[in-house]
Amino acid sequence: MVKMIVCMKQVPMASELPWDAKTGTLRRDLSDGMMNPACKNALEAALTIKQHCGGHITAVTMGPPMAEEILREAIAMGADRCLMLSDRAMAGADTNVTSFTLARAVEIFCADFDLILAGCHTTDSETAQVGPQLAEELGVPVVTYADELEVKGRSVRIRRVSDNFLETLEAELPCLVTVNTHAFKPRYVALSGLQDAFGETNILTVSASDLGLDPETIGIKGSPTKILDVYAPRAEKQNIVLKGAPKRIVENLFERFDTMIGGIIRKDIEREGRG
Amino acid sequence: MRLDPCMKHKLVRKAVREFAEAELGPIAHDVDRDARFPWEVVEKMRPLNFFGLQVPRRYGGADLDSISYAITIEEISRVSGAMGLCVTVHNSVGIYPILQFGTEEQKERFVTRLASGECIGAFCLTEANAGSDAAGVETHAVASGDGYIVNGTKIFVTNGGVCSLPLIFAVTDAANPSRSASVFIMERDMPGYSVGEIEDLCGMRANPVSSLFFEDCRVPRENLLGRIGDGIKIALETLDTGRIGIAAQAVGIANAAFEASVKYSKERQQFRKPISAFQSIQNLLADMAVEIDAARLLVYRVCALKDAGKSFGKEAAMAKLYASTTATTVTGRAVQIHGGYGYSKEYDVERYFRDAKVTEIYEGTSEIQRLVISRAVLSELT
Amino acid sequence: MVTAKSEIWVFGDYRNYFQNRVTLQLISRATDLARPLNATVCTTVFGCNTDEWVGEYIAHGAQKVYLVEDESLKNYSSDRYVTLMERLARQYRPEIILVGATSFGREFAPRVAKRLGTGLTADCVGLDVDDDGLLVQTAPAFGGNLLTKIVTPHKRPQMATVRPGVFREIPHNYEATGEIVRVPLPKDLPADRIRITGYEHRPPLTQKLEDAAVVVCGGRGMGGKAKFKNLFELARLLGGEVGATRPVVYAQWADEDTLVGQADRHIRPKVLFSFGISGAIQHTAGIIDAGFIIAVNKNPNAPMMKMADVAIVADANQVCLALIKELRKRLRG
Repeated sequence: MVKMIVCMKQVPMASELPWDAKTGTLRRDLSDGMMNPACKNALEAALTIKQHCGGHITAVTMGPPMAEEILREAIAMGADRCLMLSDRAMAGADTNVTSFTLARAVEIFCADFDLILAGCHTTDSETAQVGPQLAEELGVPVVTYADELEVKGRSVRIRRVSDNFLETLEAELPCLVTVNTHAFKPRYVALSGLQDAFGETNILTVSASDLGLDPETIGIKGSPTKILDVYAPRAEKQNIVLKGAPKRIVENLFERFDTMIGGIIRKDIEREGRG
Repeated sequence: MRLDPCMKHKLVRKAVREFAEAELGPIAHDVDRDARFPWEVVEKMRPLNFFGLQVPRRYGGADLDSISYAITIEEISRVSGAMGLCVTVHNSVGIYPILQFGTEEQKERFVTRLASGECIGAFCLTEANAGSDAAGVETHAVASGDGYIVNGTKIFVTNGGVCSLPLIFAVTDAANPSRSASVFIMERDMPGYSVGEIEDLCGMRANPVSSLFFEDCRVPRENLLGRIGDGIKIALETLDTGRIGIAAQAVGIANAAFEASVKYSKERQQFRKPISAFQSIQNLLADMAVEIDAARLLVYRVCALKDAGKSFGKEAAMAKLYASTTATTVTGRAVQIHGGYGYSKEYDVERYFRDAKVTEIYEGTSEIQRLVISRAVLSELT
Repeated sequence: MVTAKSEIWVFGDYRNYFQNRVTLQLISRATDLARPLNATVCTTVFGCNTDEWVGEYIAHGAQKVYLVEDESLKNYSSDRYVTLMERLARQYRPEIILVGATSFGREFAPRVAKRLGTGLTADCVGLDVDDDGLLVQTAPAFGGNLLTKIVTPHKRPQMATVRPGVFREIPHNYEATGEIVRVPLPKDLPADRIRITGYEHRPPLTQKLEDAAVVVCGGRGMGGKAKFKNLFELARLLGGEVGATRPVVYAQWADEDTLVGQADRHIRPKVLFSFGISGAIQHTAGIIDAGFIIAVNKNPNAPMMKMADVAIVADANQVCLALIKELRKRLRG
C-alpha cells in the first residue's frame, strides 16, 4: 500500500486570460477554472499505482475556495481524501513560498507519505518549480519530467528523456516525482464518481493559522520575487494577404520569399524557368 | 430551488463536455455525413455510466439527479445531436419505464444490461397509423401458453438499428385498444424480431432510426411490463420523462449554434468591421442568448420538480415545447448569421439546423405539447 | 568570504554541447549585464575531464571559472550538483545566478534557489538591469500569451532559468584568458539518493519537431485523413517536420507525437506553414515562438491568419498540392 500525495492546481481555462493590471497577479475570482492538465496526469499516475500496488491518495491544493472544484474532480477520478489550503494570506505566493506552505501542510497532515506526485508544470505561470522546491523543503529526493513510473517494494523506478539522454533512475521512498504531460493520459471522469464526489467526502480545509504560519512569511508578502508588470506581447507580423488560384498564390509566394525559405532549408529553390 | 448551477452541476458539465469534445467532436460531422452510428464511442461511454445515468447503483447506474441528467444530455447534444438522442432515448423512455413499472426480477434482468450499455434501449410507440394518437396502435399481442405472440410493425424507432432491448406498445384486444394497451420488453434475438431499413432522414443522421418488425414473436410472460391494460398509463408517464431529455437536447443543439454564431460574427468582416459590430447581428445574438437561457431554466425547473416527487407533466411539456421551438429558431438564425457558409455542409451550423427540426416532432409534436399544456391550464383555472 | 567585485554566475551546462548552446548564450548576456553592475562574469563547471568546456567558456567570454572536478561527478547528478552549487554560492556570494532552461536546469535551479532561500524566475525570455541595479527578468505565462516582468528585490542571489535560443553567443576567441578557481570536492558531500541504472545518449534519430527549422502544421481544414498525408510530402521536400492540432490527432489523421499546443509540444521553427488551422489558443500557445508564419485558411479572419506574416485565403489542401508541385519543379532544376 503506497501512501501518495498528488499536488494539484486550479488554472484558468485555456480560453481565458484574466489578470489584474494593478497587482500583476491573476484574477482567479472571475475566471472559470479547471484542473491544470499536468496535475491530471499526475493523478492518473497515482491511480495507476493504486491499481497495481494498492494505495491511498491524498489530493492537495492551495488556492481560493472555488479551487475545491478540482479536489471534487480528483475524488470523482479516485482520490481518497483531499486537503484544501485556502487563506487570503496565502494569495499571490511565488514558487518559493508555495512550496514552503505546501510542505508545512504535508508535515502536519500526511507526514507518513511514500510518494508525492505533481504535474511537471502548470499552464498559467509555467514555472515547473514547485515540485522540486517542495522536495527540498521536505528533504526527499526528486525526479522531474517522468515518462514512466513504477513502484516496487520501497523503491521507485523512473524512465525519462532528459536533454537527449534516456535515463533510468531509481530512488527509495519517500520521494517526489513530477510527471510529463505526454505520460499517463488521464482517464475520463465517470458520472457515478461525480455523483459520489458530492456525497460524504473527505475534504479538509486548512488556513494559515491551522498550519501555524505567520501571514508575513507566506503569500505575496513572504515571496522573494515581485511581479513588476504583466502585459500581452505585441507580435509584429507582416500580414501580407494572398488570394486567388492556388497555383498563382504559390508562384507569388516564391517570387517574394524563395531566397528566405531557401536559405532556411539550405536548398536552392530560386529561379525555375527564369534563370 | 437554486438558479445558479452548483459546483456539482458545473463539474458534470465540464466532464461531459470534455468527453464529448474529445471523443465525439472530431467525428460528429463525419458520422452525420455518412449516417454511421459510432460504436467506438459507445464503447468508451459504457464504463463512464452514460447508459445508466439515473439508474440506481444496485443496477449499475450513476444515480444522477435530474439536473445532472439534463446537463449530460445537453452537453452531448451540443457536440452531436444524434448521439445525444441515442443517450436520452435509451435512458429515459428505454429504461425509466422498467425502473418505474417493472418487477424486481425485470430490473435485475433487464436494467442491469441496459445500464452497463451492453444493450441499447428504445421505446416503440409510433406506427403507420398511430403516433400522436396512441390508441391507434395496431401491433397486437395474443395470449398463448405461458406468454404472448406479438405481431406488428413499429416505425421511426430511434436507436432502432442498434437497440437490443426495446420496449413496445401493443394491444391485446383490437376492439378495445385503450383498455388493452400493454408494454412488452422485446429481445433482439427473439425469433420473428427483425430490423427494417435505416431511415434516410433530414437530421440526426448518425442515429439509426428504423422500423422494427415482429412476426409471430413469442414473448414470455416475464417480459410484460406492469399488467395488461397498463399501456396508456406507462406511455403517458414515460413520455413526460422523455420530454425532459428532448428539451435538454434541444438546448444543447441551440447552444452549439449560438456559440458558433458568436465566434463567427466576431471573425467575419464586412465593411471593414466584424459583423458582430452591426446592430442587426447583435439583436439576433441577444435574442438567441435569452431564448436559450429561458429554455434551460425551464428544463432545470421540470428536473427539480421531478426530483422533488411532484407532478411535472405540464412543466415537461412546456420545457419541451419552448426548447424545441428555440432550437429551430436559434439554428435558423445561426445559418442566417453565417450567410452562404451557414448553408454549406462544410460548416456545422447546417447540421445543427437539420438536427433541430425534429425536436419539434418526436416525443410528442409541438401541437401535442400545446394540447397537454392547455388541458392542464384549463383544469387548473376555473 | 565576500569577493570584492560582484559576480554573475552562469551554470555550465555542457551536456549536449553541440546542440545546446544555452550556456554560451548566457555568458554573452551576462557580459552585457555585467557592464552597468561592474561585475565579473563567471561560470561554474562540475564534472570530470572538463578542460574542453572550461576552455570553451573562457573563449566565449567567461572571465572566471569555478571548477569542481572529480571522477564521481562524471554523470550529471542533480543531487550532487545542487549541493555543490549551494555551497559555492554560500562561499562566494554571487549577485546573480543564471541557468539554462534545459530539462536538467529546470530540475536543478529550483532546488538551488530553495536551498539559498531566494527567488527564481522560470524560463526567462528577457534579462535586463534596472536603474537600481536589480535584475529584471521577463518570463512568459499562459503559453507566451502574457509576459511578466519579475524582480527579486531583497534576497540574493537573484536567480533565473533562461530559455535556450533567446540570446546570441559571443563568437569564440581562443586568445581570451580567464581565471580558473579550482574547488576541491567536499569530503562530506552527501551520497546521491537517485541511482542512475540506465543512461544512454539518444541523439534524435529524426529531426525532432521541437528543433525543426521548418514545420508544416495541419488542422481540420485539411479536409480529411488522405489529404492530411499531403503535408508529409510537403514537409519532406522542405526538410521539415509535420505538426498537428488536437482535433486532427483525435480524428486519427496524425499520430499523437505530432501534437503541437500549449499542453503539448512547443515548437519554434524559423518558418511555420499552417494549413487549415483556425488558431484556438490551445494550439497557438505552442507556436508563439515561430519565426516566419505562412497560414492557409479559407476564413481570412481566423485567429491563425491574424498571426501570420503571409495569410493565404484558399483551400488548405489545394495550396499544399500546389506547393508540392512547385517545389518539385524548383528542386529538380
